Amino acid sequence: MDTFQHILNGFLVCIQPINLWYTFVGVFLGTIVGVLPGIGPSASIALLIPITFGMEPTSALIMMCGIYYGTKYGGSTTAILIRTPGEAASVMTSIDGYEMAKKGRAGAALAVSAIGSFIAGTLGVIGLTLFAVPLASMALKFGPAEYFTLMVFAMTAVSTLTGKSAAKGMLATILGLMISTIGIDLQSGQARFTMGIAEFQDGVGFVVVVVGLFAIAEVLRGLSSVHSGTAPEAMKISGKLWLTKEEWTRSIGPIWRGGVIGFIIGVLPGAGGTIASIMSYTTEKRMSKNPEEFGKGAIEGVAGPEAANNSDTAGAMVPLLTLGIPGGGATAVLMGAFIMYGIQPGPLLFQNRPDLVWGLINSMYIGNIMLLILNLPLIGVFVRLLYIPPGILYPLIIAISVIGAYGINGSPMDLYLILLFGVVGYVFDKVDIPVAPLVLSLVLGGMMEQSFRQAMTISGANPKIFFGSAITVTLVVMSVISILIPFILPKLKQFKEEGKDE
Amino acid sequence: MTDRIILAGILVLAAVYFWATSQIPTLEIGDPLGPKAFPRLLGVGLLITAAMLLAEIIRDRKAQKPAVAAETASGGSTGVIVLAVVVTAIFFVSFETLGYVLSVAAYLLIMMNYFNKRGRWLINSLTAVIYAVGSYFIFTKALGVNLPQGVLPF
Repeated sequence: MDTFQHILNGFLVCIQPINLWYTFVGVFLGTIVGVLPGIGPSASIALLIPITFGMEPTSALIMMCGIYYGTKYGGSTTAILIRTPGEAASVMTSIDGYEMAKKGRAGAALAVSAIGSFIAGTLGVIGLTLFAVPLASMALKFGPAEYFTLMVFAMTAVSTLTGKSAAKGMLATILGLMISTIGIDLQSGQARFTMGIAEFQDGVGFVVVVVGLFAIAEVLRGLSSVHSGTAPEAMKISGKLWLTKEEWTRSIGPIWRGGVIGFIIGVLPGAGGTIASIMSYTTEKRMSKNPEEFGKGAIEGVAGPEAANNSDTAGAMVPLLTLGIPGGGATAVLMGAFIMYGIQPGPLLFQNRPDLVWGLINSMYIGNIMLLILNLPLIGVFVRLLYIPPGILYPLIIAISVIGAYGINGSPMDLYLILLFGVVGYVFDKVDIPVAPLVLSLVLGGMMEQSFRQAMTISGANPKIFFGSAITVTLVVMSVISILIPFILPKLKQFKEEGKDE
Repeated sequence: MTDRIILAGILVLAAVYFWATSQIPTLEIGDPLGPKAFPRLLGVGLLITAAMLLAEIIRDRKAQKPAVAAETASGGSTGVIVLAVVVTAIFFVSFETLGYVLSVAAYLLIMMNYFNKRGRWLINSLTAVIYAVGSYFIFTKALGVNLPQGVLPF
């Protein structure tokens, strides 16, 4: 079997000094981005695309993935020391992690996060290695109709699972698809929805949308809290950066369970790291003999969620690499990065560029080792970042965004667009419209339209083709279910509670 | 209330999008669907979204959820946001004429001195100028990113 050969070759690729260096740069930047509350993985990956443009794709992608999984490590530090998640998925860590820090066990909380993240992250990469080949070979049989329905499912799942309202998630998805139709239609050569603006002929670049929606919007939110004086103070690291034997035995179970939960949630579209860590937290609380300790500094409440949100990132790489369909906002941005480098992720990539795929996957093992070192003995260096005054940090993020946005085309139009999308993102956040579905559908939009038209061409414009195989029917049914879930679930709960009363 | 405004917005957007789709010129050769079919599908999707939002509004009213007080304790911050957006807009408009170094330095000076008070004028100014000059040379010379030179000679 030559797959095994490919995997071994992948190790040779990722231990090349240049790739080791970019793995390091990626996870280092990832830790910084994770520690800083103002900027997340999506925006930073998008900003790096124009800067890394001339690089060898393997190295560039290794670096960008490093940022993606590295942020999860950094995010827990902020959660523990200032009770603000540095990254959305570490929100559960901020509950018990901060309580531990208040009790003088910050060192133990940081240590269990880093170790749990490392174990679960590595577990996740092993899972990714095992799942990748069978899934990719299954996906090779997919035709345009299968791809179209798969994308519909990914989008409906993300729409209904990310925000508070399924309708608003759908709105974000459709808006993303609409933005993707702007520009010249590649099949007919017709310009669509350009509103007479010459720059729109090539479409609205996804980098500007992501930078606007994530970086600029986040800065606007941050500036309003700086002004109202609610920016929190960081705690000092107290206690040794290690675990007592008792803490270790309490943590190991949650780490394994969290790792498995996170990986499964990561593979499925829609849910993502935040839900994975919430699920791990509730599981641990339910299994614990002392559930009342949760919320007051239970180490299980740090170990489990941190493990879950790290194996989630490896799980999320599975559909991205094997199917070419990301299941969430950050992996959608990664997919955008792949495409900018002229690389289409998906089953064919395993045949055509095994060196790239396996070099990338295997670099994640090394990256996790580097992250363990960066986030345990060297954590003190990164904690200093928390002392940067927000009033300096936020304007700097805008200045960095300018380089990224202007660097792509050298056009001031892109600057106006990041500001426009920044304001849109700020307003959307205020009215509970999630932005991750928009980014996902924007990245997939072109592919989705193409597979739709191909399928219709094959069938002679008969929509029956989307119900033509077992796979498409299953995916259509799953899409419909995911739309109906928010309407059915409350009814079911109501039903159950009424049953209890009687 | 917010949800009803969003609902109205969706309906207006759907109408505009359907109209804009009908304006796309088509040549009926080869491609059986043409460039209009997918946008039409999206228009329909937008209408479905509107129906879903309507269903949610009705559901929430039935459940008699307390009306969410949207702007909690952030009444004063809207002015700050508008100010930040306006200053940033001026920065972007002047970006190519003034050039990277000057516009970035000026922008950072204004923003940092406004948002990082406590009399740290010197630190703010040093950060602004060093960042503007330093990043310009790193990105243009070392990384080959194209940034506008503007009025300065380098």
